[in-house]
Amino acid sequence: MIRYRQIHKAFDEPVLSGVDLTVNEGEMFGLFGPSGTGKSVLLKTTIGLIAPDRGDVFLKGESVFFGESDALERVRRQVGYVFQHSALFDSMTVFDNVCMGIPEKELQDMPIREAGKRAWEALEIVNLDPRMVLSKLPAELSGGMKKRVGIARAIVGKPEMLLWDEPTTGLDPVNTAAVERLIARLSKELEVTSIIVTHDIEGGLLICDRVAMLTGGRLRFCGSPQDFRTSQDPVVQAFVNRAGAEAALDNQLNVV
Amino acid sequence: MVERCFVFLGWMGTPMDPRSNVETRTSEVGLEAGRESLEGNAFLRIPLRVVEKIGRTSRTVTEHAGQLGLLFWRVLVNLVQLKVSYKEILNQIYVMGVQSIPIVIVTAVLAGIVTSQQGGYQFTATIPLYVMGSIVVTSVVLELAPVLTAIVLVGRVGARITAELGTMEVSEQIDAFHSVGRDPIAAIAAPRIVAGFIVVPILTGIAIIVGIYAGLASAKYTLGIGTEAFFYGARLFWHNWDLVYSFSKATTFGLAIPLISTHMGFRTTGGAAGVGKTTTASVMFMTLTVLILDALFPPMFLD
Repeated sequence: MIRYRQIHKAFDEPVLSGVDLTVNEGEMFGLFGPSGTGKSVLLKTTIGLIAPDRGDVFLKGESVFFGESDALERVRRQVGYVFQHSALFDSMTVFDNVCMGIPEKELQDMPIREAGKRAWEALEIVNLDPRMVLSKLPAELSGGMKKRVGIARAIVGKPEMLLWDEPTTGLDPVNTAAVERLIARLSKELEVTSIIVTHDIEGGLLICDRVAMLTGGRLRFCGSPQDFRTSQDPVVQAFVNRAGAEAALDNQLNVV
Repeated sequence: MVERCFVFLGWMGTPMDPRSNVETRTSEVGLEAGRESLEGNAFLRIPLRVVEKIGRTSRTVTEHAGQLGLLFWRVLVNLVQLKVSYKEILNQIYVMGVQSIPIVIVTAVLAGIVTSQQGGYQFTATIPLYVMGSIVVTSVVLELAPVLTAIVLVGRVGARITAELGTMEVSEQIDAFHSVGRDPIAAIAAPRIVAGFIVVPILTGIAIIVGIYAGLASAKYTLGIGTEAFFYGARLFWHNWDLVYSFSKATTFGLAIPLISTHMGFRTTGGAAGVGKTTTASVMFMTLTVLILDALFPPMFLD
């Protein structure tokens, strides 16, 4: 379970103003909202990439910011993070990139053959052919492949939670749908708690158990995808309608 | 305790550790409000701006000092805890040291020749030419080899480190390091700083030897001084302390260049434009630091 308690954060201007949110064990949770409303900031506070000015995050009841000195290290071992632009290490091969997802201490005691096996398996799970990509550098991969390598790096350490920061940004509709199917499949197969930050409302509503919407640094909506679709809140309505219109346009373009 | 002191000094900026990033900008907001109300008074406008400029500059200097100290402290802690990969240090020694040898040699050759030529021009018919040996050797050992090597490395190594780390920072690769439970200071900063500390004195040693022999060759073929006369002059005014002084300078520069370049790299924000801006600022910062440290050395270590 992930719990955000009264998260406040400002970068010159306030971004998050007292966000309270609980994501249940094994849940696939979607976080929507306009650009610049702090969705990614909230996600980054989960593993201490950004510290809140006030408030705290609890993972399985353990405080991330005010817990024991090694709390952050433990938290990061439990969580896999998929970055918006993949954030693969440029100077490392795909193999090294994926192996970086294995906790350092575990990797040190692990024979190279075992690490190779883990990386191979993780790449197969994300539908990449390890023989084709293992020795390549990130610059030699397409956008969709980079995303998949980023996902492989996030899951190779066998995390209990997965955080997805706009995983379909910059992908074409075909790749977007493929990545969304992959996210849904992984969350079920790996039995992990997932939070997905996305602008793809239609896709998010399809794969998430619960969704929330952030506007102006506060939670505007939190509930089931069905409730989101039928919400009377004008801001949520505008988002749903826009998402519906975009999905229809995408379908039309795909047919053409 | 030491870490807390550096965190305190650097608290106004973006700290290296997200856990200590609990900052509010209330002081800045207060300053803005105060400035707006006072700027209505025309007499106060100029002195207010001057005071404001001094205040902001002092704050920036304190912020950099705190963050640099914190970075250095964390590198030391990681080294003591043996968390730094020796393979990565060797790799950086190759990239920063071995690959810099050609440019350092070219610089040293030119420095030796110019010193010899200009000395010859000044001394003609007034001072015995064997003094040229002392002039070339002392200039190269005390000043030219360590300083020119450092300046060359600022451009070749320092700018590369800042641009590389800056790009990693803006493309979230540093965040990715944190997310997989790795410490970027142990994995990225420490090997570069240790490598710089090792290679700059070695490169300076190479520059000294090459510079002296280039000066000798130049003096021999243009002024007609023999090898024996050249080294007689060099020995006449030689102090062993000069070599200690030269390598102390080189070691200090070797620490300052990668430390500043990694620090600036970690501070990068704002995409590709931000990387360019930070790299320029970093080169300026490193060059000034080298020259200021160079100016501080004689009063501290030479009688």
